Amino acid sequence: MSTNAFTRLQLHRLRKIEIVVHAEDHGAVEDLLKTAGVGGWTMIRDVAGMGHGGFHQGRSIFNDHTGLVMFVGVAEAPVISEVAIGLSRLFETRPGVTFLSDVEVIRSDYFASSTSTLA
Amino acid sequence: MNMMAALTVPDVVLTRTETAGLVALAARSVPPLWPLESAIAVNPLAGFEDLPFAEAVQQAAQRFGARESLPLTAWRQLYAAGRIDPRMLRDVAIRALGGSYPAHAVVTPGVTALDLLIARLTVLDPQQAEVEREALTPEVAFLAKWCAAFFDQGQAASPMPHRELGLYRAVLALAGHDPDYARLTGTAGAQLLLTVSRDPLTAIAEGLAALGVPEGGEVGHLAGLVARLPGWAGHIRWRAEHTDPANVAAAPGTMADLLALWLLLERAGALTPRPVAADPATAAVPALAAHFGWDAATRDAALASASGIVRQVAGYSDDRLGGLFMTAAEWTYRNTLVPQLETAAARLDVAGAAVEARPDAQLVFCIDVRSEPFRRALEAQGSYETFGYAGFFGLPIALHRHGEERRKRFLPVLLAPQHDVAEAPVPGQEAAAASLSEGLVRDRGTAALFGAAKQGTATAFATAEATGPLAGLLMAARTVGPRALQRVSRALAPERSAVLAPTLDRHPGDCARPAFTLEDKIGYASALFRLTGLKPQTARLLVLAGHGGSAVNNPYAAALDCGACGGHKGGANARILAAMLNEPAVREGLAAQGLVLPADTVVLAAEHDTTTDTVVLFDRDRVPASHAADLAALEAALERAAAANRARRAPLLGRSPEDLLTGAVHWGEVRPEWGLAGNAAFLVGPRAWTSGIDLAGRAFLHSYDWTADADGTALTTILTAPMVVAQWINCQYLFSTVDNHRYGSGDKVTQNVLGGIGVIQGNGGDLRIGLPRQSLFTDAGEAYHVPQRLLTVVHAPLARVEAVITANEILGRLFGNGWVQLVVIDPETGRTRCWQPRAEPDAEGTDPQDLTLA
Repeated sequence: MSTNAFTRLQLHRLRKIEIVVHAEDHGAVEDLLKTAGVGGWTMIRDVAGMGHGGFHQGRSIFNDHTGLVMFVGVAEAPVISEVAIGLSRLFETRPGVTFLSDVEVIRSDYFASSTSTLA
Repeated sequence: MNMMAALTVPDVVLTRTETAGLVALAARSVPPLWPLESAIAVNPLAGFEDLPFAEAVQQAAQRFGARESLPLTAWRQLYAAGRIDPRMLRDVAIRALGGSYPAHAVVTPGVTALDLLIARLTVLDPQQAEVEREALTPEVAFLAKWCAAFFDQGQAASPMPHRELGLYRAVLALAGHDPDYARLTGTAGAQLLLTVSRDPLTAIAEGLAALGVPEGGEVGHLAGLVARLPGWAGHIRWRAEHTDPANVAAAPGTMADLLALWLLLERAGALTPRPVAADPATAAVPALAAHFGWDAATRDAALASASGIVRQVAGYSDDRLGGLFMTAAEWTYRNTLVPQLETAAARLDVAGAAVEARPDAQLVFCIDVRSEPFRRALEAQGSYETFGYAGFFGLPIALHRHGEERRKRFLPVLLAPQHDVAEAPVPGQEAAAASLSEGLVRDRGTAALFGAAKQGTATAFATAEATGPLAGLLMAARTVGPRALQRVSRALAPERSAVLAPTLDRHPGDCARPAFTLEDKIGYASALFRLTGLKPQTARLLVLAGHGGSAVNNPYAAALDCGACGGHKGGANARILAAMLNEPAVREGLAAQGLVLPADTVVLAAEHDTTTDTVVLFDRDRVPASHAADLAALEAALERAAAANRARRAPLLGRSPEDLLTGAVHWGEVRPEWGLAGNAAFLVGPRAWTSGIDLAGRAFLHSYDWTADADGTALTTILTAPMVVAQWINCQYLFSTVDNHRYGSGDKVTQNVLGGIGVIQGNGGDLRIGLPRQSLFTDAGEAYHVPQRLLTVVHAPLARVEAVITANEILGRLFGNGWVQLVVIDPETGRTRCWQPRAEPDAEGTDPQDLTLA
């Protein structure tokens, strides 16, 4: 793609949240994402890596609830802030890390909020 | 009662997402509760596993209003029966007193501190009288009633309306018409019904604000509410996490719904305060004084001593004394078993074992503790080699059984299904399968019609009159001749397993797609060898034996089946893996991985009935004629082993071996077998290591060959999955015994089954969790199961075990917090090491120095 073509691209500024938690907590994180109104997310299972507690192994073959999972979600800034607020309560007692960053996407309709708060 | 809560809408501080996070944390205080049809053992204290064991037990006892230990009288019965070595009890007491020197310090002439503690343990009256169990409180009865109505699975003649709105909103819509609600909450409740938010998360936030729950105290507050109804809360967790969403979509009920209802009641001042445990203080001083013959002056002098030991010992609660008994029971078991295993390990010659003659048959059983005595009995019958492997045979499947609407998960709850498998007619049995299928449809229709007629207001009496005589005859037959009735039933209908079998090559929802690819099959087939150490030089017959129990009219029948198969019988999984291993293309794939099986090896599937000890061999008509003699010899050996094991088990149940067969089909039998009662150890190593030891049906046995697992992958799998399941089972038995009222489901005689969901005691109240009393205690009320933590013994190099634990947080938690005790017998050095639980609950990781000599 030429530089000119790139500058013609209509890009939309959104926020991205990446969350790494123990696999057993994946349901709690999904609840938060849904409640905040994130329309969709990516979940990467069996994340391995180095942390405060040493090297974390990916899951073992007979247990989905061991190891770490990583969520990646993109949405409007207020929605992502909502997720971060909810996570801050979760992280008071459960281990995990989260990263927030600005991103640009081509198709903003893919990341529309799904909030359906009941009155 | 607290009537202060504001009835106006309070200023909400928490956002919905924050509240969702708090609800998720609070939900962790109870484990999921599986329905009866697939009853799975879970640790009722799973939400406390981040804490050291003793601290977790204490916190959970406060939260659930439970005991921390078996009552002292029950421990003393076990002590008197020789289940606890007096020397071990003495050693535990010395450790509790701070070591040998303070334990032997003289308190009064001729009396040491140790004497005081031993007297409290073994002689003096318990300080905590058997308390009257808290009766069902009205608010628990109210919520339990609505939960039962909302979560009903088609049993109710008139289903609860508005279920599509969710539990919280459906109850809000009806509570105004419920006189129980009016009695409980009065005018405050009526006003709240009008003003409270209809969104459960917002209602929770409102409730926390209205009740003035401080920031940081929300999770504890919500967890306390969850613990008031642990059975239904567990059912909600199961619905959210372990069932197919389509199964529960018609009636969405979440933990937020339940908590919003609890907070509604709390705001209306309808909660009964939880009783606070009394401080044991020093109530035992007079008893000690009387026991040791102290006069007032001697007693006062002893109490005034600088060490304060008399006050310390007198201040021990019965629960704490019970904890010492439990440790003594664990040490008694460990110090008996581990030396035998050390001796056996020293004699073990892995190289020698490899060149032994080819056995007549090899049989792979589930790791279940009930397999061990049967394996031992079979090994005594001839040249039979046995192995232990997880009973789902490594297959993460959901089975679509013929004639059933929903698929069932035949795998450990730690896994999600990756393959949907259908049943199909066995070749040559198509007509019988069609007949069976018609029968299944007819039976379902008849049952539905009978249920509707029985519950209909206009038809109930007529139905009773019309079917009463037949039901009476059937009842008489079930009572007087249950085995004859079973023979008649079998003669009338073909055996299901003889006409239907799981099919590997057709996906239930898409006939063009196989349930397994060839690559999948090779992977699952090779896992059997990699994880168990089974060598490719297999015998002429290789049998994969699943297992299940037999019980009639027993809501806990599934608890006798295979936990690794999701609380189902394991025959289907065995048949699938056997079929894979017999496929030429799979054999070729295995050979490409260096696993070259002899061409004359035939793989068979079987199912061991743990109640009767009979073993059914599936698809035996497909065994080639060349192997007929091998098969006949094996079947004869299996029959002899069954008789031997029945003879061993019968006295434990106080019955004759023949009566075990009757109990398996008798509708009045409350204890068809002891199940996994007595479970105490999880042994990881080759069978040759344990085969010479009578493990008395108390050990899970997972085969493992450290020489074939250089990178520790197999050991990681064994410890992070089968051992975790064994720990759940162990903890369920432990806590169901310790407090059968809170952590168990109480007496079977007074239980009522609630749809297919669970049981309740009497006619209402919470769903009961855990095991019934009859599964743990004798009819005389003595504990058959000794509550003690799982002892895992691994036969592998120390460095490898340590590396596996360090890389897997779950193992650091279980071993580090003392939920499982670990002993490693290192075959390279010949040394035995015991993993020392860490003292600090918040320290992450376990230091290598923690490995101290046993």
